[in-house]
Amino acid sequence: MSIPDIRPALKDFAAAIGAQNVFFSDEDRAAYSDHFAADETRHRPGAAVAPGSAEEVQEIVRIANRHRVPLWTISRGKNFGYGGAAPVAKGSVVLDLTRLKKIEIDEHSGTVLVEPGVGFFDLYDHIQQRKLPLWLSVPGNSWGSVAGNALDRGVGYTPFGDHAAQICGLEVVLPTGDLVRTGMGAMAGSPNWQLYRNGFGPGWDQMFCQSNFGIVTKLGLWLMPEPEAVLGYDIEFDKIDDLGWAVDTIAALRREGVIRQSPSMGNWLRSAAVMTTRSQWTDSKGALGEDAITAIRKRFNIGWWSVQLRTYGHLDMAEAAMRVIDRAFDGKAVLAKKPKRWSRGETPEGTPFSGVPVTFPLANANWHGGRGGHIGYSPVLPARGDLAMAQFRRTYALYEKYGMDYHASFSFGERSLTNVNQLLFDRDDPDMMGRVDAMFRDLVRDAKANGYGEYRTHIDYMDLVASTYDFGGGALGKLNRTVKDALDPNGILSPGKSGIWPSHGGARA
Amino acid sequence: MIGRMTMMLGALACGGAALAQQGLGSQGNAMTVGVMQDRAANGPAQALFVEKCAMCHRQMGMGTVILSRRMPATQAMLEQRTDLTGDYVRTVVRTGMGNMPRISRGEVSDRQLDTIVGYLTERRP
Repeated sequence: MSIPDIRPALKDFAAAIGAQNVFFSDEDRAAYSDHFAADETRHRPGAAVAPGSAEEVQEIVRIANRHRVPLWTISRGKNFGYGGAAPVAKGSVVLDLTRLKKIEIDEHSGTVLVEPGVGFFDLYDHIQQRKLPLWLSVPGNSWGSVAGNALDRGVGYTPFGDHAAQICGLEVVLPTGDLVRTGMGAMAGSPNWQLYRNGFGPGWDQMFCQSNFGIVTKLGLWLMPEPEAVLGYDIEFDKIDDLGWAVDTIAALRREGVIRQSPSMGNWLRSAAVMTTRSQWTDSKGALGEDAITAIRKRFNIGWWSVQLRTYGHLDMAEAAMRVIDRAFDGKAVLAKKPKRWSRGETPEGTPFSGVPVTFPLANANWHGGRGGHIGYSPVLPARGDLAMAQFRRTYALYEKYGMDYHASFSFGERSLTNVNQLLFDRDDPDMMGRVDAMFRDLVRDAKANGYGEYRTHIDYMDLVASTYDFGGGALGKLNRTVKDALDPNGILSPGKSGIWPSHGGARA
Repeated sequence: MIGRMTMMLGALACGGAALAQQGLGSQGNAMTVGVMQDRAANGPAQALFVEKCAMCHRQMGMGTVILSRRMPATQAMLEQRTDLTGDYVRTVVRTGMGNMPRISRGEVSDRQLDTIVGYLTERRP
């Protein structure tokens, strides 16, 4: 791919939004690179621009069209396991929306309209300062953008944890520079923009998730009314094989709506990697052995697997759900089943289960000492215990083959299971970084062989993952490209995002 | 002004980096480590620190947790430091350090960084 000289465009950008908001020094370009990469120059942008309004976004898009300069849109650029702020196509101009920070909350309806620069902590502070009876759903690492996370189909831990599913109405700058509002927002002055998703005719909200068809400048989101109570259990499982029956037990509760949040059943390294560094357990290379695993479990008093189940709502309903959960686990051997109970007026649990944003889980980037990082590998599979066990065994064997420490969880959707893996690495260890790349490709191959695809991936692997969606000779990819070419004839918006490249334009595959 | 919104929990209520160690160094599952970070600020400079930095550099932030592994407890919370210089803060913010990513000028402008530097260096003797 080739990208034209961006210098003439930079002059026009500076004239449109102020020179102080156009960044192109080496230091600036480095700041928008992939922070977790072994080689940060691989996806280094040519420059970055930070508009302060939707009107300025429109003007930037028009300028980019004139100069055929590709833009790579980020909200806050904190999606570190997936490439951070860095573009797929090296030399693209990062369109940084972090200065767009408006928050409009409808307390009565429990909705919010956010701009892309609003982070989870920003929205949390906004709600707490006003003492509004609304709870967020936050991801495990909460320093990112509320809108960006929803658009990338991030997940949280409350009943509102499927963030893309909570989207209700968007404002979007199209690749031509035109501004549209979706759903009821298409009607000027509608009071229903954040209340009713579909409007009239086709619904487009999901078209702008994980895509490069437009630039979302406002995003409507449903928030959870503060519950009267949150009850639940923290459950520890002793044996590897407990995964199978536990998945079947919890998946049934999830399907029936007894559990409405997305529990995440993960292994011992989730605790050890956040709370300690590897050298505290072993000096040996290769995947952690049984001795270290046993020591970790003993130190933290945890199982091979752990899961946290929560029920939310009125106390009567939550207590009834707890009785059903008790019956479901009755007679099944768990290592520990610790009850959790919160009711309104008490200090919340202070975790993502109560919508409290946190950043300490990303201390796991320090697992190997030094400058670390991780890459996410997250195939989706049916919510069945036998398939989860098979997935575990195949994946665990690949961790051992490549000498990496097993760090995984199984996250329960309403009908599916997402096997979220974090490959924790030391980015100053070239040998390890080479193994991570080879292992990742092996993992994708393994998932594909079983008919599983990833729901999200790093910028290095977007083409690879897109290629596994191969029904009808890659019919979906062809549809995506047809839409891309129709909406973005010059191919200027985030070329390569989710494996979608324009047929024409400055950067194409 | 950012209003006071929470009380810190249990052992976290006393302030200081040792608390991060207490919270994360002992037994228990990392998924259920509770933290209600103090998001309060007195004045606009501290408010800007809270908005831009506190998520990682107050109680139980990623930065505080990692710093507490390699320096004395009183040093891991930036707001308790008395040895920070403007040049040092600017360099770390713009070039990153260890696991801290570079902070772009889109996210924190040079003028905002000046304000944060002023706040973090005002305790120098």
